[in-house]
Amino acid sequence: MRTSEYVKQQQPVNMAGVGFRRWAQALSKGKGSGISALLSGCRAASGLSKDSLPGPYPKTPEERAAAAKKYNMRVEDYEPYPDNGEGFGDYPKLPERSQQERDPWYQWDHPDLRRNWGEPMHWDFDMYIRNRVDTSPSPVPWSTMCKQLFGFIGFMLFMFYVGEKFPAYQPVAPKQYPFNDLYLEKGGDPEKQAEEVKHYEI
Amino acid sequence: MADYREAPLATRPKTLDPNEYFNLSPEQRRAEEARGAVRANLKRQYQLQLNNPHRKELIEDPALTRWVYARANPYAHFRPTNKTSLLGAMFGVVPLFALYYIFKTDRV
Repeated sequence: MRTSEYVKQQQPVNMAGVGFRRWAQALSKGKGSGISALLSGCRAASGLSKDSLPGPYPKTPEERAAAAKKYNMRVEDYEPYPDNGEGFGDYPKLPERSQQERDPWYQWDHPDLRRNWGEPMHWDFDMYIRNRVDTSPSPVPWSTMCKQLFGFIGFMLFMFYVGEKFPAYQPVAPKQYPFNDLYLEKGGDPEKQAEEVKHYEI
Repeated sequence: MADYREAPLATRPKTLDPNEYFNLSPEQRRAEEARGAVRANLKRQYQLQLNNPHRKELIEDPALTRWVYARANPYAHFRPTNKTSLLGAMFGVVPLFALYYIFKTDRV
């Protein structure tokens, strides 16, 4: 198909028409369905070629070797994610280590990311940058830290619960008013003698 | 610190790692040398491009391109299995119905 285009054509060709015709042909015999077939029919030639982009899970040893070479890794070091349909393909499974753990004194190509050019990036690279998740060794064992933190929080929660159940406060009584419970102020008859109200006991 | 135990978010410090002291067989050393050779080659490529006085454009990193491509196209390698279907249901279907039910029944 490509050799026929090499023949010099004298009459001008409408490239848009050619492109549209090729797109319709690709759609009709394409394997995809729906929007993905409409949109991803072709990729720009300016990017990487298809054999240097991530692909499906490698099944044969030759595929594994090719994938290791593609990702700039040794064949022994290359280990893809298990093929359980979660969308990883042949992407390598690198150790789950944050960038904070890497040597701060080595001359990295990108010092803030502590990464060299061309080095295979972890699937969760954007999680393991130095501003985010950090897996460096803790000064105290993790279990000790967990026990201390959750022990303290649990103890405080328990004490607050107990305090709700058994409240302890100053003794209070209903408010007491003078002048026989404010007999006159509440509109009692001034001629009549109000009943004596005593708020104390001796 | 002899009883230091690792955790998913806390690795073993290098000074407590037994591999630093015991696994020094020739195979290990050869492996390290091979890794160093790969690294040196990549460094050389990068430095050549970086210090090229005629370079006018950005240095493109194929590893970065591959990472972006891999993260953007997981559906190409997706397969419905028990686990993926369960995850899809938990994140996509259950919240829909649960939130609908909660919003409709629990009124302040």
